Amino acid sequence: MRTLRIPMSLFLLLFATACVTINVYFPAEAAEKAADRIILDVYGATPPQTPQKIPAEPQQQPAEPQPQSLRDRPGLPARTLALALDWLVAPAHAEADLSINTPAIRQLTASMEARHRTLGPYYASGAVGMTRDGQIDVRDQKLVPLAERNTVRNLVAEENRDRSALYAEMARANDHPEWEGEIRATFARRWVDNARAGWWYMDGSGAWKQK
Amino acid sequence: MPGTRVIAGLLPVLCLLAVTSLSTLAVDEAGITLGSVSGPGWSVEDIALHTGWPQAGQVSMLLTAARADLPEPLGRITGLKLTCPALQFDSETLRCPAGTLEAQSSQLGRQRIATSFHYRFSDGRLDARLQDIRYLGGRLALAARYTAGGWTLDVDGRSLSLQQVTAQAGRLGYPLPLLEGDGELALTASLRGAGSEITAADVQTRVQGAGISNAAGSIAGEDVDLGIDVQARPYTSGWHVQVTVRAERGGYYVEPVYLAIPERPVQATARLDWLAQRKVLVLHELDYRHPGCIQLAARGRIGLAGATQVTELEVDVQEAALGPLYTSYLQPWLTGTPAGRLTASGVLSGRLVVRDNAPVTAQLKLQDVVLDEQDGLFGFTGLAGNLDWSDTQTPEYSELSWQDGHVYRIALGPVQIEAESVGNTVKLVRPTGIPVLDGTLQIDSFDLAHVAGKPLRWHVDGLLTPVSMKQLTAALDWPEFGGKLSGVIPSVRYEDGKLEVGGVLLVRVFDGVVTLRNLQLESPLGLVPRLQVDARIDKVDLEQLTRTFSFGRIEGRLDGRIDGLRMESWRPVAFDAEFATPEDDRSRHRISQKAVDNISNIGGGGVGGAVSRSFLRFLEDFPYDRLGIRCRLENGVCDMGGVEPAQQGYYLVKGRFIPPRLDVVGYAKRVNWNSLVAQIISVTGKQDIVVE
Repeated sequence: MRTLRIPMSLFLLLFATACVTINVYFPAEAAEKAADRIILDVYGATPPQTPQKIPAEPQQQPAEPQPQSLRDRPGLPARTLALALDWLVAPAHAEADLSINTPAIRQLTASMEARHRTLGPYYASGAVGMTRDGQIDVRDQKLVPLAERNTVRNLVAEENRDRSALYAEMARANDHPEWEGEIRATFARRWVDNARAGWWYMDGSGAWKQK
Repeated sequence: MPGTRVIAGLLPVLCLLAVTSLSTLAVDEAGITLGSVSGPGWSVEDIALHTGWPQAGQVSMLLTAARADLPEPLGRITGLKLTCPALQFDSETLRCPAGTLEAQSSQLGRQRIATSFHYRFSDGRLDARLQDIRYLGGRLALAARYTAGGWTLDVDGRSLSLQQVTAQAGRLGYPLPLLEGDGELALTASLRGAGSEITAADVQTRVQGAGISNAAGSIAGEDVDLGIDVQARPYTSGWHVQVTVRAERGGYYVEPVYLAIPERPVQATARLDWLAQRKVLVLHELDYRHPGCIQLAARGRIGLAGATQVTELEVDVQEAALGPLYTSYLQPWLTGTPAGRLTASGVLSGRLVVRDNAPVTAQLKLQDVVLDEQDGLFGFTGLAGNLDWSDTQTPEYSELSWQDGHVYRIALGPVQIEAESVGNTVKLVRPTGIPVLDGTLQIDSFDLAHVAGKPLRWHVDGLLTPVSMKQLTAALDWPEFGGKLSGVIPSVRYEDGKLEVGGVLLVRVFDGVVTLRNLQLESPLGLVPRLQVDARIDKVDLEQLTRTFSFGRIEGRLDGRIDGLRMESWRPVAFDAEFATPEDDRSRHRISQKAVDNISNIGGGGVGGAVSRSFLRFLEDFPYDRLGIRCRLENGVCDMGGVEPAQQGYYLVKGRFIPPRLDVVGYAKRVNWNSLVAQIISVTGKQDIVVE
């Protein structure tokens, strides 16, 4: 009996740790989608049919079961199954999406979007480029008329402040402050991938390249 | 001046040769090899002299040297050839009015220089002129005079390339930035000396160019016209120097400061001593004038050996126009702070004293200052005052006043503040009232402390006398409603970017009382302000409330609580709220048909219009027992509840036993907050159009 119990508890332990792993796993694909939605907003492009993040919950039909209300279904075996599924699936489900619909994220996105109208020409001229860490930098300030150089410096500083706040805020809003670095890395890639041809970015070695 | 000495030394030999040649008329040409001469750090090899008589009464001369190694930066010269086709001489002088010097220089390349000289036997005075030296992309002319008592050298440079000049200066170890572009430099220098010592140097330079920049673009100029005049006189331990820098026109960028030169030039004049041994700059007088912007004077002592050591510095700003001063000189340093995006005007003067790299006293006088944050976060007009500060324990007195101002859209009236500072702490001398809309924020005490390297913190005790909600709601662009806001604020604390209000804010509104506690505001002037507060609602009159928000009339009283309300950018992200008819409420409880419909819609009952579709539509309103709603908001989703549970749902309105009985039951347990808000807005908005 004893010999049987140990593998059994080991199995349970494995099972439990496996679940924990699922919880901690960074939802890379969802993060990319979320990043794209924000980036396209900022760049001012029409987003390619993006579904609303938080599905509008059907409030007019209260009887309709909600994703969380599986357990309310009748029948004991089904109910037990539902509970188990709920326990297993709910965390996995939470990973499938990354919330970007908080006032702070909306405010930061709006602020960056407004700034992009001024900043855009400097990307195009090559004066400003995208860095490896999801920020921007003055790539060649000689491409900027003297009188505008401080404006560009300010724009870059403000943009970087907003971007850092955005990455932190996204991690926070999704209850995983430790994801900030990964969110930043995701954004760093997506800013470049979504950029217009001709804009400059820093490659993996830190050298400037033109898209 | 080793070169001068060589020529001077060779001259007697030359004369001797010429004289000898003349006296023995039979000879047409004579040559002499002089070998090599050298001194410490220099040598000239294979010197030879030839003379000839091309015509009667005329003597020609050719002096050659195979190689000359001269001290840096002169470098090596090869193939040196000094030709003088018509040498004139008599018993007193020897003259070469039109000679040519040819040589290959490691520094200057191949040169052919028009040369003239004049030597006087009696006192050994030598005058020499070298014209048209090709140097650093331009032309140089030198005029030198050598006497037993000393020498002078006048240099005239034209169209020297600024790029080459700065590159050369860099090679010689001068800390000048390497500049690119089309900049040209003109130079007039007058040097006087004796032996190897310079006794006076007057240098005037003028830099002009359409576009000049260093490689990084951090130092740059457009349409540059810059004059730099230096007068230097040596004394025992260094140099007395007088410098004038004058920008006549153009735009100059020295990161992060950009100056566009106004109609009148911008000029700096300084009188200083440079202690060469100790690398110390003693600034006796600096006068800086930027017309229409600032005029300042400074004096001090700055050590430049190793890290810059400001031993002493006094700066007096005689008068500055805050508008241009802010954009040109202040704003670049304030980027990213709440003061980084201002529109400013007014007059400013002040004084700053720095000792050992740290400020010790500062005085600032403001007159007629207008400040406006560009995003409308705050603004002040008629700002004036004298602000005094010192790092000692002696109290300094300051006063500051403004005529009016605003924070967000809340108007502030005229204020007079008198404060006392000791070191880095500031406190009010006497209580001050700040008119806020039609009320007053009475400040009994205010303490501010700034510890180096730590965020600013301050603390206020005060009282808010009633502010009419009508004005406040109008200022905040909310639906207008009556009532008063007031409060005893025993403690407002600002620390680490966070504002915490102790005590209780009281809002008398709709005949009831709303109390706010535990108010915290994070980064109040930042992009995403975060607010936290707990609220209690006590017996507000629903009739007044529903009338204000055009919701459909409800009579009765309402109690409620909002715990842990968290707002980001003034939008709620979390709270636990509950509103309900008080248990002991004895007032008349009636609810109109329209209100029932609206509650049904919002509560998610799905019975919108149900009343108006049934026989109940003949009744204008209904009695009710209790009504209420509960919402716990988290992650964008509201956990809903009502005044008490009902079968499968919850009562939003619970009717009386006596008919006609009407219950409104909600079923949705979880409602998307944004949709809920949209619905409330549409309900209250829709009502505006309905003519009742």
